[in-house]
Amino acid sequence: MSLSRRELLRSGAGLAIGAAGLSGCQLNSGVQASAGETRKPFAKKIDGDLAYFNWGEYINPDIVKDFEKRYGVKVRESNFDSMPAMMAKLRAGISYDLIFPTAEFAQRLIRGNQLRVFDHDKLRNADAVFDQFQQPWYDRNSAHTTPYTIYATGLGYRGDKVGELSGTWRDLVSPEAEGRSFILDDFQEGIGMANMVNGYDLNTVDPEELDRSKDFLIDLKPKLRGFSSDTIGNMTSGNAWIQHLWNGDVVNVRNQVDNPEDFKFQKCREGIPVGSDTFAIPVNAKHPGTALMFIDFVLEPENAARNVEWIGYPMPYRGGAEEAFAGLVKDDPSIAVTVNDLDNGQQYENLEGEGRKAWDRAWTQVKVA
Amino acid sequence: MGSRLDPGEGGVSEQRFASGFLFPGAVWLLLFFLVPLGILLAISFGTTDDLGNSLYGWHPENYRDAFDPLFAPVLLRSVGYALATVVLCLAIGYPIAYYIARFGGRRKNVLIALVVLPFFVNYLVRTYAWVAILGDEGIFNGAMNTDIRFLNTPYAVIGGLVYGYLAFMILPIYAALDRMDPSLIEAGKDLYGSRWHTFRHVTFPHTFQGVLAGAVLVFLPAVGDFVSAQLLGGPDEYMVGNLIQQQFFAAENWPFGAALTTLMMLFLLIFMVMYLRSAAKASREAMA
Repeated sequence: MSLSRRELLRSGAGLAIGAAGLSGCQLNSGVQASAGETRKPFAKKIDGDLAYFNWGEYINPDIVKDFEKRYGVKVRESNFDSMPAMMAKLRAGISYDLIFPTAEFAQRLIRGNQLRVFDHDKLRNADAVFDQFQQPWYDRNSAHTTPYTIYATGLGYRGDKVGELSGTWRDLVSPEAEGRSFILDDFQEGIGMANMVNGYDLNTVDPEELDRSKDFLIDLKPKLRGFSSDTIGNMTSGNAWIQHLWNGDVVNVRNQVDNPEDFKFQKCREGIPVGSDTFAIPVNAKHPGTALMFIDFVLEPENAARNVEWIGYPMPYRGGAEEAFAGLVKDDPSIAVTVNDLDNGQQYENLEGEGRKAWDRAWTQVKVA
Repeated sequence: MGSRLDPGEGGVSEQRFASGFLFPGAVWLLLFFLVPLGILLAISFGTTDDLGNSLYGWHPENYRDAFDPLFAPVLLRSVGYALATVVLCLAIGYPIAYYIARFGGRRKNVLIALVVLPFFVNYLVRTYAWVAILGDEGIFNGAMNTDIRFLNTPYAVIGGLVYGYLAFMILPIYAALDRMDPSLIEAGKDLYGSRWHTFRHVTFPHTFQGVLAGAVLVFLPAVGDFVSAQLLGGPDEYMVGNLIQQQFFAAENWPFGAALTTLMMLFLLIFMVMYLRSAAKASREAMA
């Protein structure tokens, strides 16, 4: 008995040492890929069920059902609640056919040879994309992505509970909210908001500036209810009277409640982070053909229109999508976000190396304080 | 250890025969416990590339960073919540175990099955259910027509932990009570012990090892839990589990997360060793 236990212990230690001996080698071979692998051609045709990986409640479910019905395949949907959580699953080598990274995470994935190149000519409606996305900063020649949505970050609030807000990020801790305020549990949006309030560049990596932004967030903490990215759940359940969120979520919430007129959105005067999400096909996708069929299906003008109406975010394509969002904005101008905002507003950049570490450290310090 | 495994008693061939049955378990533990532990240890000295992949290497600074005094309040809070959870589980669990063991009669097995039944549903899902029940405009406040703010408080977090781990307290205490000879309690009463005295001097000492086992089984997972604080807690209920979870899934810093995990396991090992020594001592005394 005792002998075999000792043997086990010894072999365990040996394994640890052996593993450590592979110094410099990478652990997760699942996400190692060469540039060549990203360029393997594939046909735009149904080649199996679709492994779909996106934020929750970020597509009109009817579109998914109709796609399944029209092509006789299953869409197996998984969700993430942050970009780093998406990255963790991809690094683990799990194979998805279609993912929806933000622009800056798309850039990071492209640099790491993680996204398949696909032919935009095969997408019937891709040329309806707004001119500003012909040559996006994160993906040269749009070789690996096509845009999904544009968004702006601001404050969602309950007009019936807190009245009108005063136009600043500091409204988060207004006394009317009685401590029912949530900040997004997202290192980019948390630190980014603080940078804007302090008048810094959205993407600053200056240690002193990050330090002061960290302190700003720590000062907010006693008046907050929590850090949470379950924005739609928090607002529909009544737990949040003020919620740091992305503009379209307010529309989504309104579609779910009995008193939609009470749910409002504020863009804050210190600055509005603006960004875009993309469709992308991971390099280890097993069914890239179905993925391309799905993108094409969502971009059909009718589908794009009903998707925009459901998710509340504009899709940067002329035609149905553009008209649908114009309709939403007519009802509530506060949620408007345009491609011009992308030029004028501030976009999150792809933080690498020490810069990313500094942001993570600041965010961890906010959490533990 | 018991003497059953001594070759002298059971015979060498019987021991071999019994050892054969250990083989699947040993392989299982080697593959799914020791190997991952070795990988974790190796990662904890590593670093990451731009995609966040772990690279092996020699970076002991991960451990240095883990000893940042900033993290001390988080550790203390976790231990405090876990201790509160143990106390509450004991207060709630002991009477339940006592009732089932002494008065369960023919329904004993059904009652124990009922205790275990919630485990058929994942802990995360059950905790989500509490979010729906305890929300400001949730099921409870709606039904009672009240306006109580349960969520995002330390009470909700500890409540979630008690709810999640109560069965781990009930089962070992039940086992100890079930083993206990009921005539001992009668003897205590015959000797004019009051109910309380009999409990204090007879029943409780006899089940103390069960209580201790329950306390350890509740404390260990509770101190490292992140689900309860994540779903039911607010900004000031951050626990060690949340800190570790954040390193893996938000900061994309597996090496630092692995270093924190390794240190946490060493810390918990102290409690485990203390428990094992106490259990060994008790079993020696029982033999004597």
